[in-house]
Amino acid sequence: MGLPREFHEQCRRSLELDYLKVFYCWARGAALSVTSKILDSDLAAPEVKVCTAAMRLMLQILTWEFQYNRKGTKSINHFSAGVRHDNALTNRTDCILVQPGLAWHDVLISSGDTVWLSNLYAALRQKFSPQSSWIDSPIAVSARKLLVQFCSVTGTIFPSDSGQSQEQYLVRLLSGIILWVEPSDAISKEIESGKSGSEMLDGCRALLAMATVTTPAAFDRLLKSIRPYGTLTLLSTLMGEVIKVLISQNSEEETWSWEARDILLDTWTALLMHSLQPLHITGGGISLPPEGAVAAANLFALIVDSELKAASASAYNDDSDSDYIHASISAMDERLSSYALIARAAIDVTVPLLTRLFTERVSRLHQGRGIVDPTETLEELYSLLLITGHVLADEGEGETPLVPDAIQRNFGDFLEADKHPVVLLSGSIIKFAEHSLDPDLRASFFSPRLMEAVIWFLSRWSPTYLMSLEETHDRNDDSLLSRGHQLPQNSRKTVANYFSEYSYGKFVLGTIVRVSIITFTSYPGENYLQGMTCYQLLHALVRQKNICVHLVALESWRELANAFAHEKMLFMLNASHQRSLAQTLVLSASGLGNSEAANQYVKDLMGHMTKYLVELSSRNDIRSISQQPDIILSITCSLERLRGAARASEPRMQKSIYEMGLSVLNAILVLLEVYKHESSVVYVLLKFVVAWVDAQITYLEAKETAAVVDFCMRLLQLYSSHNIGKISLSLSNSLLSDAKTEKYKDLRALLQLLSALCLKDLVDLSSDPVESEGTNISQVVFFGLHIVTPLISLELLKYPKLCHDYFSLLSHMLEVYPEMVGQLNNDAFSHVVETLSFGLHHQDSEVVNMCLKALRALASYHCKETAAGKVGLGSRASDPRNPSGGTENRIFSRFLQSLLQLLLFGDYSPDLVGAAADALFPMILCEQSLYQKLGNELIERQANPEFRLRLTNAFQALTSLNQLTCTLDRMNYQRFRKNLSNFLIEVRGFLRTK
Amino acid sequence: MSDEEHHFESKGDAGASKTYPQQAGAIRKNGYIVIKNRPCKVVEVSTSKTGKHGHAKCHFVGIDIFNGKKLEDIVPSSHNCDVPHVTRTDYQLIDISEDGFVSLLTENGNTKDDLRLPTDDNLLSQIKDGFGDGKDLVVTVMSSMGEEQICALKDIGPK
Repeated sequence: MGLPREFHEQCRRSLELDYLKVFYCWARGAALSVTSKILDSDLAAPEVKVCTAAMRLMLQILTWEFQYNRKGTKSINHFSAGVRHDNALTNRTDCILVQPGLAWHDVLISSGDTVWLSNLYAALRQKFSPQSSWIDSPIAVSARKLLVQFCSVTGTIFPSDSGQSQEQYLVRLLSGIILWVEPSDAISKEIESGKSGSEMLDGCRALLAMATVTTPAAFDRLLKSIRPYGTLTLLSTLMGEVIKVLISQNSEEETWSWEARDILLDTWTALLMHSLQPLHITGGGISLPPEGAVAAANLFALIVDSELKAASASAYNDDSDSDYIHASISAMDERLSSYALIARAAIDVTVPLLTRLFTERVSRLHQGRGIVDPTETLEELYSLLLITGHVLADEGEGETPLVPDAIQRNFGDFLEADKHPVVLLSGSIIKFAEHSLDPDLRASFFSPRLMEAVIWFLSRWSPTYLMSLEETHDRNDDSLLSRGHQLPQNSRKTVANYFSEYSYGKFVLGTIVRVSIITFTSYPGENYLQGMTCYQLLHALVRQKNICVHLVALESWRELANAFAHEKMLFMLNASHQRSLAQTLVLSASGLGNSEAANQYVKDLMGHMTKYLVELSSRNDIRSISQQPDIILSITCSLERLRGAARASEPRMQKSIYEMGLSVLNAILVLLEVYKHESSVVYVLLKFVVAWVDAQITYLEAKETAAVVDFCMRLLQLYSSHNIGKISLSLSNSLLSDAKTEKYKDLRALLQLLSALCLKDLVDLSSDPVESEGTNISQVVFFGLHIVTPLISLELLKYPKLCHDYFSLLSHMLEVYPEMVGQLNNDAFSHVVETLSFGLHHQDSEVVNMCLKALRALASYHCKETAAGKVGLGSRASDPRNPSGGTENRIFSRFLQSLLQLLLFGDYSPDLVGAAADALFPMILCEQSLYQKLGNELIERQANPEFRLRLTNAFQALTSLNQLTCTLDRMNYQRFRKNLSNFLIEVRGFLRTK
Repeated sequence: MSDEEHHFESKGDAGASKTYPQQAGAIRKNGYIVIKNRPCKVVEVSTSKTGKHGHAKCHFVGIDIFNGKKLEDIVPSSHNCDVPHVTRTDYQLIDISEDGFVSLLTENGNTKDDLRLPTDDNLLSQIKDGFGDGKDLVVTVMSSMGEEQICALKDIGPK
């Protein structure tokens, strides 16, 4: 609209503070005035439309994003156009909190609107209920929506009386809404026989809204004033009813019961998450009221029952996409975590229930063996394993998860380990997993899918329970106790001790390893299963040092390592799984007592592969045999294994991994030459080198570094000579774009290699400095960049990861070695400048940020050097022959202009202002006269005298406020950052128009 | 280690066999596979199961490396697939003759004159333009299962 942004913000503010409430009152007035007429007329009357429209307006007003009432004032976001995420509304189970603040109290709370609306709806409901279409009529829909919205009112609008007035308010609402969902069995029957489900769904939504704004205890109390039971019981009955309907329908279509289940599950989640939070804050740990726990237990039993029925019913479905474990786990994950929350609310009942169900299914399998088709039972077991995994353990997400609070708290009285419910449940599953070791049982029961669930369960369970370190941390528990955590320690210890290294832990660990081997050897081609074993189960095991100690001592682990090193069997695994397996096996060496043993272990493990590569590359007929698919396969696999081993570098095995890489360096150059057209092999070659250099470089002595650096440069040159100027020809577009993607991946690997070399200057653990062998890392990396850069086209920079890597390497180089820029030749220099200028206008703020950092480094380097009377960047920064002339060749004048342009008129993230200030400040100091000129031009262009004055003052303030001086120290940078941010807030409001 | 048991020496032509068997589960995206007796590059691999509790099968989408046509195949992942033997050789481009053949210089100094230019106009012009500009071109010839085609060219400096 051509008006400054400031103006728009003011509009928004004034609407919210001055008019919104007025509008709301008008709408309410209109609705109230027609109420009595509506009650006397039929649905077609014009008053009904008035009332509907008024209610819609009220609803709209209540969905306004209230900003100013919360903290009084809120600063305007000056830097990017704020977009409201209205799509939040589209998610059907989302609940928007309405927080209008105290000013609305008189209108919303004390005016009795809620009572009026409840009564109106109830009256209409009574009057029109014979007509089935009434429920979906506009007036009914808007009235219900408004009521739900009323339920989500919260925040400072209620006086601070520990939630009492809010509770009364909600009770009033609930007394009307309860009719929508109760009696639930009758209502669900009506809906099944054709009545619309929308009223019931809105009822569920209202419950969700209430659950979101209250605590579980308060939520349960709400209903107690009007019914003999609490709201939790209502919720449980209601959900039980919905689940019953779901079971009976068993169709793939999304019906009202699906939706109702999702909303109600969210309600439980909201409630139970509430009850989790105070545990960390108050230390008390609020669980549900006892009635609620019973409700949760009943509900969970129903849920499991329904899941099992659904499982056995779908056992023969063959729609391959949806029932694949990763798809189904991620789709079900959210649902299962909600189930787990419910189960943990009544853990003392639900764990024995799960144990019973699981044992029943297993014995059913054994009884029916050879007689009955086990498929249905297998599917039920599959479901049970997933549910149990979620109930017993949390996902660690990289950290070691603790035993869930509910389990710690609730089994205080079980001191005998072998009767502890959790031990029983875990034990029965582990025993079941052990059955898979028997070839006959395996053939009859353990389908790949069931095996996946077993492996999944083991990998979820073991980080929490297997040889957990908790018992060694008992001393820390004292501090917990003093903070009031009167947790029954014994219970936790009972489970932990049972599966500790001193008790059954070793035995269980052995079983897990043997089951893993089985998945590799007895399930050929089951990539997903094997991947899960490699990435999830085994990785989780070797992450813990105390487990590694036992792993390397296990006979079964040695078998695995031996098979890996010498047998062809494991060469049949997918190559990336082999990489992961190599990594895992090498990592387990950290469990060996000393570094000598660890190095020997790695040598034995990998020696075979390095020998193979070296022998192969020195064969005379390498060229002719290299293209055979079987040779390509075994080379790829060997390289992937080496890469996995390199990634597992730890100080203890560093030496052997260095030697492993060193022995194949020449072979790699030979293979790179031989396979220059086989991009997939080139890629694994490069990736191995990257992983190895990255892991080793910081440990290497000067002489070793020189050798590695020399090798890297040869590699880069060789790669470049193969690829520069090469054009792929193909009839197929997808093959051409594949070729481009492959090139991108190669280049990214090369950039990573250069970044890995940079590491040497940052972290150096060797005894002598690198320079003692005449290696200059910065020169080497700039040289490397010089080789790689011509291979990167603008087209390739569209790959975000490549772009990111490229800019981070470049900005790192410019930041750490600005002096190198002065020594670059013209080509290389203009390339750097163009790249920075490209990056400065990139959409990715991270890229912009990196460019700004680079500019800051260059400008401040130049400033400091010239102040000290040296040349700095010399002719790159200023042309001594023509100091006032064209700005094109002078790096800082060029960037000063474009940065100012961006700051004042561009669209960017506010996070960038700090970095931009850091870059701008030294550039202004370098190019003071140009800065003056640009500022004056800008001021003169302003037509409006008021704006012109503001702009002049702002420019003035930018360079003078906060005692800013002309030296580049921390204080000045900070001051300038503050100044620039004030400056932009002041001027962008009117400079930018929309 | 070199997977000798995979060698298919009984395949007929002595010496280099045209294809090798490889377990379907071990074939990765970007690898090669024979589908309907054509050498293909794998552009997509997905797995599914034969029935819920059955075994995995791989679904391959391949693109014929010579004619660019898309082909698909489904194989149980523990079974073997044929993998074509694809070789690529560099030759210096000496001449383009009027009748649509190229003349190439082999490593040992002989010439190879039996290779046709591609018929696709776009590819043809890329080769002809480069050659016409007087650049020194190296062409890469891909051959597999008895077929040959130019698959890449590279400028190694002015003539």
